[in-house]
Amino acid sequence: MTAVSRDDLPPPGSGPGTTTRPAPPGGLAGSRRAEPADWVVALSTTGPEQQHALRLLHQLMVRAAAHQVWRMRSALPDDSPASVEVIVQQAADEAMTALLAKLHTFEGRSRFTTWAFKFAILQASSDVRRLQWRRREVELRDLDLGTIPAADHDDAERSAEGADLANAVARAMATVLTPYQRRIAVALLVDEVPIDVLAERLGTNRGALYKTLHEARRRLRAELTARGYLAPTGGAR
Amino acid sequence: MTTPRPRPPLTPRAVGALLVDTTPWLSCDECFERMDVHVEALLADPHHRDPAMEHHLQGCTACADEARSLLDLLRSGTI
Repeated sequence: MTAVSRDDLPPPGSGPGTTTRPAPPGGLAGSRRAEPADWVVALSTTGPEQQHALRLLHQLMVRAAAHQVWRMRSALPDDSPASVEVIVQQAADEAMTALLAKLHTFEGRSRFTTWAFKFAILQASSDVRRLQWRRREVELRDLDLGTIPAADHDDAERSAEGADLANAVARAMATVLTPYQRRIAVALLVDEVPIDVLAERLGTNRGALYKTLHEARRRLRAELTARGYLAPTGGAR
Repeated sequence: MTTPRPRPPLTPRAVGALLVDTTPWLSCDECFERMDVHVEALLADPHHRDPAMEHHLQGCTACADEARSLLDLLRSGTI
C-alpha cells in the first residue's frame, strides 16, 4: 500500500483557516478551524470536510512521530535535525496510511486523537529501531550449551540467587526449549535484538516472535518451578 | 589457591527477562488495540489495573516503550 504523503494533501493554508504551525500534543492549537466533531465521518466523506480532516490528521501524526523519534534520537546513526525531520515525516505518512486502513475499527472507546497517536508512535519507533540496526548483523545463535555447569543438587535449596539461578535457567533452556525457541529467546532477551528488527530479518512478524517467546518463558517457568527455583505463584525463592 | 567458579552463561538482566511471567496471554496486536484505552485509563486513575496489559508490557520491551511514550505524549499536551 502506498503511504499517504503530505504531498497528497491540500497545501497548508489552502483550506479555510489551517496552518502547519506546531501545536501541543492532543490538541490542534495551530488550527483556526476546529477539529471534526466526528473524525470517522469527516475522514470517510469526500469533499472539503475530508480534506480539512486529512490535513489535521497529518498534523497529529507528525506531532506524535516527532515525539517518538526525539525520544529515541540517541539511537540514530544520524541524529541531526534534518535527518530527524525526514524520519518523522516518513513515519507520519506511513502511520496515516495504516490508520486510514483501520479507520472502520475505531470504536470511540478512547479519544480519536489518542487512538491516532498510537499509530504514529508505533511506526516511528519501528523506523528508528530499523535504522539503528541497519548496518548490524543479527546472529540467530544458540546458547553456548558447553559452558553450562552441571546441576549441583544442593543449589536449589541453598540459593536461587545469582549464578545458581542463571545456571539453572541455562540448563532449563537446554532441556525444555526447542532449538528454535532457544535461538529466538537468546536473540531477543540475551542479545537484545529489537523484536521488529528480528521479525524483519527472519521474514516473520512481531506477533509470531512474541508468541514463541511467551511459550519459551512458560516452559522455563514450569521447569524452574518443578525444580524448586521458583515459587509456584511467583518469582525466585 | 581456589579455582574461580565459571562465569554463568546468562547475565542477571537476561535471567530476569527470561523469567517474566507473561500469562495471561496477550498478543502484541491485542496490546496495540488496547493501548489507547489503557493509557487514558491510567491518566484518569493511576491505580487502574489491567493484568493482561501489565504482564504483556513487562514482557515486551517494544510495546512497553510505545505505551510509555503515548502516556508521556498525552501528559505533555493540552487535551
